[in-house]
Amino acid sequence: MERLYDFLAGTATGLLSGFGVGGGTLLLVYMTAVRGLEQHLAQGINLLYFLPAASAALPSHQKNRYLDRRIILPAVCAGVCCTALAAWISSGLQLGPLRKCFGLFLLLTGLSELFHKKSR
Amino acid sequence: MNTKLWLRAALAGGAAGLVNGFFGGGGGMVLVPLLVRCCALERRRAFANSVAVILPLCVVSAAVYAFRGRLDLSSALPFLLGGLAGGYLGGRLFRRVSIHWLRRGFALLILFGGIKALI
Repeated sequence: MERLYDFLAGTATGLLSGFGVGGGTLLLVYMTAVRGLEQHLAQGINLLYFLPAASAALPSHQKNRYLDRRIILPAVCAGVCCTALAAWISSGLQLGPLRKCFGLFLLLTGLSELFHKKSR
Repeated sequence: MNTKLWLRAALAGGAAGLVNGFFGGGGGMVLVPLLVRCCALERRRAFANSVAVILPLCVVSAAVYAFRGRLDLSSALPFLLGGLAGGYLGGRLFRRVSIHWLRRGFALLILFGGIKALI
């Protein structure tokens, strides 16, 4: 039964990930706060989960001409170096400090999303 | 090539990379506002481009997690299948959905997760 709930949670957050609206962040909340998965395990699953979710959404974004290579290329080049370094540090961290950092990140993100301005 | 735009996009991508690698996700939450503010991207376009940027970052981070023995494929499988179905629908519905109220609703869930992680 838990696997069915995991699938449904993945589908619901996958919808948001397809929009680019933080589905991965929400899935992390489900895995850690609802399912009680260990933080490192949840983070690893979340990284894997994004691969099919994003790959399935991207053809539509490309078809709708939303994608801009002038933005994507430099962002990816810088991003892969930074993400490798951060993933290396994080995967070696003790659970306690990682959970506290994660909690603060969620609070900041949640507040900024709650009070975001309706814009273009 | 517009050097200023290239540099701004690189800085935005770097910041998203740090968050995404450290927390195993959440890079898009940092990237979208940066793309809107620093690269003058229209918001809906910023959401779509963030999906394209975060995907390779997740590949790299997942490789690092795998190398450090932090990946569990068997536990991940239902989430992967769900993500595939949801991601496909998300891409198809993206043009027709009002993202504004969606974000307000999911902000409350994220705050709940933050409080649970801290107490």
